[in-house]
Amino acid sequence: MDRLLPLIQNEALKIWKKKRFLVILIVLLILIPIFTYAQMKIAETNKSHFKDWRNQLVQQINEYQNMLSSDRIPDEWKRSRRIAVQQLQYYLDHDVNPNSPDGVTFTRSFMSNAVTLFFPLLVLAIASDLVSGERTAGTIKMLLTRPVRRWKILFSKLVALTMYVSLTVVASAVLCYLISGAVFGYDGWAMPVFTGFVIQGSSIESSFVHAVPQWLYLLMEAGLIWVSSMSVALLALMVSVLVRSTAASIVTMMAAVISGTILSSMSSSWQSAKFIFSVNLQLTDYLAGSPPPITGMTLGFSLLVLAFWAAASLTVSFSVFTKQDIMN
Amino acid sequence: MRTLSSGSLWKLIGLSAVISTLLLLAGFGYAVKDMLHPKGEAFEGTAAVPALPASGKLSEAKEISITAIGDSLTKGTGDATGEGYVKQTIALLAKKYPDADVRLNNNLAVNGLKAERLVRLLETDKGYRYALMQSNVILFTIGGNDLFQIAAGSSANKKADELDLNKLKAELPQGLNQLAKVTKLLHDINPNAHVVYVGLYNPFYDIPDFRAGSLQIQAWNEQAYALLHQYGNMSMVPTFDLFEQTIGRYLSSDHFHPNHIGYAQIASRIAQSLE
Repeated sequence: MDRLLPLIQNEALKIWKKKRFLVILIVLLILIPIFTYAQMKIAETNKSHFKDWRNQLVQQINEYQNMLSSDRIPDEWKRSRRIAVQQLQYYLDHDVNPNSPDGVTFTRSFMSNAVTLFFPLLVLAIASDLVSGERTAGTIKMLLTRPVRRWKILFSKLVALTMYVSLTVVASAVLCYLISGAVFGYDGWAMPVFTGFVIQGSSIESSFVHAVPQWLYLLMEAGLIWVSSMSVALLALMVSVLVRSTAASIVTMMAAVISGTILSSMSSSWQSAKFIFSVNLQLTDYLAGSPPPITGMTLGFSLLVLAFWAAASLTVSFSVFTKQDIMN
Repeated sequence: MRTLSSGSLWKLIGLSAVISTLLLLAGFGYAVKDMLHPKGEAFEGTAAVPALPASGKLSEAKEISITAIGDSLTKGTGDATGEGYVKQTIALLAKKYPDADVRLNNNLAVNGLKAERLVRLLETDKGYRYALMQSNVILFTIGGNDLFQIAAGSSANKKADELDLNKLKAELPQGLNQLAKVTKLLHDINPNAHVVYVGLYNPFYDIPDFRAGSLQIQAWNEQAYALLHQYGNMSMVPTFDLFEQTIGRYLSSDHFHPNHIGYAQIASRIAQSLE
């Protein structure tokens, strides 16, 4: 165990020196202002059309209701709109603004929108070349000739990866808050957010609905994002062990993640797609009470699926890495 | 960063990573606990009650805030430009009262809405009540779907054959009953606003078998007028005459809703009636 900490330190510093985390920060620093600007424009338009947020909300509900009365709209879509109407109505009835313009609310919605694609991509920036990068550079031989057992080397990579996943999630939230707050203001921590909507068919059961302060909601959301990002990270680690080139490793993982996003939007009739890991990444939806991509999916189910994929990829990673021959 | 030695850089990364991870794990744990064992607790919001606008003449008002409710006619179905009579009325009022700030507060019309559902919305929907309370002009249409039993948006031609004039007659009292509730609720919610009800017309005037339906429509309009007459702030704008000889000019291709210029005629009547 005493040999492990220096190894982790070594791996963590290696990732740092490769400037991967810096890239992530720069991407965030460029993207967040763009989204903030877009959100600002939307807020301006709304302000010119509506006296206050209640008018905007009641108009939004009305528009959904009108869409629901149309015969041309698919049932699946109607179901999710029906649920959205009921949730918005709940907010309206309790006089709570679901989209109040402040830094915390912006951060909350940015994070939940980023969970299926953006966070996985950021994670891939670190995870994809953890092992394959060493192969490409030829440094893996150096690493493996040291008198350290192989599983310890992979384990230290895993710990370093976990550290950077945590840092990525937290840094995104912090940067998002700091940047958007400059435009929308830095408050909103104590604003109530409703959670606990239970979806039954196309209606929601509101007896478990309760309000949590927004800071707690954001914390829960970040925790769920961390779990889904970690499962992506573990899979990427496995791919990085299996595939020799970093480019191939990134492409494989990106294809998997993106196909999951596409599947979630069209797989309502393909029930068993719910066992694919990337369909389960949107854990924050359960918190918000949005309908899951496939009927019947719950938080517990998604966590189990992700845990299974994570465990399987860990098993494969470790058994392959400790046994495989290293040749160039 | 280059000034940092590897040791202190590692301490910085390591410490912030450990803190972040613990924080995120706590968040995750709480989320799982919160969702797997949810505790429902009633949240008591303080209901917002906007101040009613002052009653009085529109020509003296600084702001004319309009809320429209009702069925597809208010929504503007059939108007290719999407304006309907509501937006055209606003444009006309803005011309009529150049000093006032004329704006649409909300258009909360729902396609296919029947009077009974409108009553329920007015009774229970806080958003509806809130928007109505803010405005000094309320425009509404209702009754068309009750009488014709036609879901707005679907082609009226198909169902025209199934229209039964006796049924139309039978629907009248029930629909008017609901309309009475609507007017009473509107008065309870906002007694200061100018309320304009757009009367019904017979979209099947040009079909010989259903021309007689116009008599039932007129019966509705007459009794609707009697209901609105009870309240000094409510008025009714007739439309039946617009859709008789000129039905081909003013009705849209669904043969049920007005088209853009049809709505323009309704709008000009509303603008004329308001003071």
